[in-house]
This record gives sequence, C-alpha cells and structure tokens, in this order.
Amino acid sequence: MTEKMLFIIFAVLAVAGGIATITRRNVVHGLLFLVFTFLNVAAIFFLTRAYFLAVVQILVYAGAIMVLFLFVIMLLNLRSFEQEEQTHRRQRWLALALSVLVLAEFVVVLAGVTFTSARGGFTPEAIAEAGGGTKVFGDALFNTMLLPFEVASVVLLVAMVGAIILVKREKRAGGATRSWEPGEEPTPEAAEEEV
Amino acid sequence: MGAIPTDMPIPVDWYLYLSAALFVVGAAGVLIRRNLFIVLFSLELMLNAVNINLVGFSRFHEDLVGQNFVIFVMAIAAAEAAVGMAIATALFRNRRTLMVDLFDRMKG
Repeated sequence: MTEKMLFIIFAVLAVAGGIATITRRNVVHGLLFLVFTFLNVAAIFFLTRAYFLAVVQILVYAGAIMVLFLFVIMLLNLRSFEQEEQTHRRQRWLALALSVLVLAEFVVVLAGVTFTSARGGFTPEAIAEAGGGTKVFGDALFNTMLLPFEVASVVLLVAMVGAIILVKREKRAGGATRSWEPGEEPTPEAAEEEV
Repeated sequence: MGAIPTDMPIPVDWYLYLSAALFVVGAAGVLIRRNLFIVLFSLELMLNAVNINLVGFSRFHEDLVGQNFVIFVMAIAAAEAAVGMAIATALFRNRRTLMVDLFDRMKG
C-alpha cells in the first residue's frame, strides 16, 4: 500500500516535471525541471527494486548528461534568445490534439490488455540469496550481454570522436567564425543577432 | 515495510500508464517547441519513458534482461546527447540561432 502511494506521488511529480520542462521559456529552467523528472524516475526505479539502475540514473542521467547540457547552454550564452517566440504557432494546437489522441490511444490499448508474468525466477528473494541485485545484474551483463556491452563501448567511442570533430573550429584566413559563402546573404534572423 | 511480498507490490499497468504519459509529454515537446535544446530534452524524456517500461516489465517477468537493456539505452542516450550538443554548438556558431525551423538550408 505504501509502495502504491509512493509510486503515485513520484509518477505525478515526474509527469509534472516533464510538462514543466517543455513549457518553460528559459532553457536552464527547463533543464532543471528535467533533472527533477529524472530524480523522480530514479525513485520509481528504487520502488521497483532496481537499486543499481536507480543509482546509475542519478549519477549518469541527472549528473553527467544534464551537466553536459548545462555546460553547453552556458557556453553558448543563450541569454539574448530567451525572449524569442519559442513555439510553432500554427503547429501548436494540432500537436497538442495529436498528443492527447496518442495518449488516449495508449490508455485504451492498456485498459484492454492483461499480462501474465513469465516467472523468470529472479524474484527479489532469489536475487537477495544470490548475492544482491548489483552482483546478479553484473553477472548477467558480462555474460549473456557481453557482445552488446562491447558494441555499446564502440558506439560511445564513435560518439566521442564525432563530437570532437563536429565542435572543432576550422582555421580560416579571415579568422571569421561564420561560414557564409561569398555572395550569399545571411538570413534576416542571423543578421539581426550579429554583434 | 515488513516482509518482502513475492508478488509485485505495484501493478505492471501503472508503469505502462506512467511511461505512456511521459512519452506523450516528450513527443508533444518535440512537436511544439522550436528551441533545439528543448527538443533534445524531450528526446531524453521519451528515452526515460522507455526505461520505465523496461524496468517495470523486468520486475514483472522476474527477468534481468530488461534491466540490462536499460543500461544500453542509457549508453546510447549519452552518445546521442554528446553528438546532439556538438551539432547544436556547431549550428549556433554558424547560424547564431537555435530555432529548429530556421535550419532549412538543405531544403530542396
């Protein structure tokens, strides 16, 4: 019973944080609400007894990835762009209607289906007997999931190299950071923002 | 909380409803907002909704493959965030804006 109540509280907070994330005008506020959502999701992982994942969620998601976002936002100095209209005006109502429709669809489908457990045997008691969640989790990860694990490490390496190459500044004769071709006109928005 | 119940204390449907709600919020964010950063945040929201589903079903089926899969989703999310941030930085440097509908140079 307690778990159910806690689940409802964290679920409502997570969804509220998500809605706040996509409605804030200020990007940093949105980011902080996103971190709030991630913390609530971590709490739900705790309630599900996925303790290791809950900690990873906080450390990697709320910690590392969000700090990366924050760093880039502050690096780009977006202060002057906060006042810009940030929604697709014509698209907004259509998108909202579609979202509600998709949610209704999900609810209708979920209401009409019943699941039967596969009983894989990894009950909380069995996991506790086998040496704790992290140990069992690691055993599965480094035995049955070894190949995907190695592939994921290659993906991370490629992402790292790609990110560095994308951000690297190319040397130009004029020292300009803009990349307009000669004779090409910058867009009015860009010209407006030019210092 | 007393003795650990063998059966799941929280019905698996609840995870699915929460996941659906978070996913729809993320999808709405992608559709409605023009700011590239908010769009990236919304993508992270949708990935998290998937993670909730995976963890819920992992507990329901008493199988750890779902939890292992969450780790891979997180790794891919980290890679996506790094590349997305790099693209955002490069775009901002060249165009001085982050509104996604202004990036129409490759339009035919």
